[in-house]
Amino acid sequence: MHNTTTVPSRHLPSLRLKPLALLGALLLPSAVAAAPDSEPDVRDPAEVYRQVCAHCHAPDKAVGPEITMAFPEAAHEARGDYVRMVVRNGRAAMPSFREAKISDPELEALIEALVSGDLADHSADKE
Amino acid sequence: MSTTQRILPKGVSETDFDAALSRFREIIGAGSVLTESDQLAPYTKIMMAGDQSDYIPSAALLPTTTEQVQEIVRACNEYKVPIWTISTGKNLGYGSAAPGATGQVMLDLHRMNRILNVDPEVCTALLEPGVTYQQLYDYIKENDLKLWLDPPAPSAIAGPVGNTLDRGVGYTPYGEHFMFQCGMEVVLANGEVIRTGMGGIENSSSWQVFKWGYGPYIDGLFTQSNYGIVTKMGLWLMPEPPAYRPFLIQYQDPEDIEEIVDVLRPLRIAQIIPNAVVIVHTLWDAGTHVMRRDYYDGTDSIPREAIERIKADEGIGEWNVYAALYGTPEQIEVNWKIVEQAFGASGKAKIMYGEEAEKRGGGFEYRSALMKGDMNLQEFGLYNWRGGGGSMWFAPVSQAKGSETRDQTELAQQILGKYGFDYVAEYIVGWRDMHHVIDLLYNRQDPEETQRAHDCFAELIDEFAKRGYGLYRTNTEFMEQVAGTFGDPLREVHRTLKNALDPNGILSPGKSGIRS
Repeated sequence: MHNTTTVPSRHLPSLRLKPLALLGALLLPSAVAAAPDSEPDVRDPAEVYRQVCAHCHAPDKAVGPEITMAFPEAAHEARGDYVRMVVRNGRAAMPSFREAKISDPELEALIEALVSGDLADHSADKE
Repeated sequence: MSTTQRILPKGVSETDFDAALSRFREIIGAGSVLTESDQLAPYTKIMMAGDQSDYIPSAALLPTTTEQVQEIVRACNEYKVPIWTISTGKNLGYGSAAPGATGQVMLDLHRMNRILNVDPEVCTALLEPGVTYQQLYDYIKENDLKLWLDPPAPSAIAGPVGNTLDRGVGYTPYGEHFMFQCGMEVVLANGEVIRTGMGGIENSSSWQVFKWGYGPYIDGLFTQSNYGIVTKMGLWLMPEPPAYRPFLIQYQDPEDIEEIVDVLRPLRIAQIIPNAVVIVHTLWDAGTHVMRRDYYDGTDSIPREAIERIKADEGIGEWNVYAALYGTPEQIEVNWKIVEQAFGASGKAKIMYGEEAEKRGGGFEYRSALMKGDMNLQEFGLYNWRGGGGSMWFAPVSQAKGSETRDQTELAQQILGKYGFDYVAEYIVGWRDMHHVIDLLYNRQDPEETQRAHDCFAELIDEFAKRGYGLYRTNTEFMEQVAGTFGDPLREVHRTLKNALDPNGILSPGKSGIRS
C-alpha cells in the first residue's frame, strides 16, 4: 500500500511541542517510544478532584452529592472502601472510572484526602 | 478471574488467549494488561437498556504509543482476538467504556494522552486519543492562548478525538465536530500506519490545515467505524472572539416549535447566529437541576398538568432557545437587532440576555459556559431526573423545517407516552439539519422498566425510519437495528470495506453494525 509506514514517528520532528506541566514527563517527543509498563505521572488529589470530580460534586453543581466532608477517623476505612467501590464500579448516575483515568495510586490518595476533609474548600472553578 | 468463570473472546481457545495475553504483556508490560475482575469492573458499567452479561470484556490493554498499538493488532491477527477500542470511554448513554460484546478485549487508549501540538497562529491542534477536553482546556489557559474549545455535554471528562470519531457535537460555532477535524494517523488492522490528508507527505506543514490531501478523501471511513484505530487526530480551534453574547428565547406553547425553527433557519444558514443553537424542551431544561418527584411521582409519562406547573414555578418555557452571537461589539449589536426583529415579529417570543436571562429558571448559566467552550457537566443532572442510572440517547436527524420538527416531536411523545417515559428532549441546530436528541431516561435497577425502555427504543427506531427519519448515532445495543434502517446496499459496501481492511474481523466487531 502506498503512503503507508510502519514508523509513524519519523514524520513528527517538525511538530512544535509545548511544555505542559500537567503531563510532565509524558510530553516526550513521539520519536521516543515508551517502554512497556511506563508509569504515568501521579496527579495530586486536589488536581484529580478538580479535573474529574468537582464538575458534578462541587456544592454549586449539585449533580452528584457532596463528597468532601471529613469523616471521623474511625470511619475512614469503611468510607474509603465505599468511595473506591463507587469510583470503580459506578452507581446509578455516577459513571465508573477505570485505572486508565484515575490510577490506583491517585485513587488511594484521593480517598485519603476526601475522608480527611482536605478537599472541603475546592470547587470545579478553582485553578 | 477464576478459571471457572473465565470469559474468553468468541471463537478463541483458552490456549490461544493465554498466548495472546503473553504477547500483549511483552508489548506493553504486565501492568498494562488487565485481566482481574476488579480491574475490569469499570468497563462493565452501562446505561443503555442491554443485558449486563452481554458487555463484559475478557481483558483490557493500556498502550501508550502508536508502535505498541501496531504490535497489539498484529498479535490480535495471529490469535484472532477481537479488540474494542475506546479513548476516554465517556460516551455515556451510547455504550460508555464497555465492549461491543462479551469476550472482546478492550483497547483502552486513555494513556495515549499527549497534546502534540497547539498552533495559536493557524488555530489547530494535534492530539492523541486519551487527551480530555479538561486537559486541553488547562493547556490553553496555562499558555494564555486565545483559543476556544467546543466540548460536548460531558466536556471535562470526555475527549476531542473520541467524540469527533463518533461524530459528536458541541455548542459553539465549531459544534459539528467532524467538520473541524483535519488529518489523522491511523493504525490499520494489518499493523501498518497511514496518515490521511497531507500527512502522507514527509515533513508536511499542512497536515492540520488542509483536510483533503490528494485523491480520495478517506477520513470519514474512520468515524463511527471499525476500519482502523486512530492514534492521532488534528482539529481546528476557534479563535477567542472580542465579544460574546449568549441569549435565551422562550416560547410557551407546544406548537411554537414550528415558528421557532422557521424563524431560526435563515439566521443560522446565513450565519447571523453562527453557533450550534439548542431548542430545549421544558423537561430537559428542568431536568438538569429539578427533581421529577417534586412535581410527579407516578411511574408513567409525566402529565401535561405537571409540565405546566414546572413551567410556571421554575420560569421555564415549553421551548427554550439558547444561542449566542460572537464577534466585535459592533457586529454583535447589528446581529442582535436582526435577531430581535426576526423573533419579535409574532409577539410570542420572550427574548433575553444578561441578567434577565440569568434570573430565569432554566440552564442559562451552564448553556452560556458550553457555548463559549468552558468545562461544565451540569447537563448530567438529567440522570437524576428519573433516577436509576438508565439513559439512552435517541437522536434522529431532521431538516431545519418547522413542519418536520413538529411531526418528529409529536411522534416521539406518542411512542414515549405509550411506554410510560418522558419526552426529555432538545434540538441541536446545524446549518440545515437538526439533531433531535431525546434522552430516554429509565430506572436500570428495575428489570421490567429496563425491558420496557429497550422495547420503546426499538419502536422509536422503526417508527421514525418508516417516516424517513434516521439516527445520526446510537448505542451499542441498537447498532445492528439502526444499520438496518439505512438499507442493504450501503451495508454491503461497509462489509466489503471491512473484509478488505480487516479480513480477520479483529477491530471493534459490530461497531455501527459492521462485521467482516
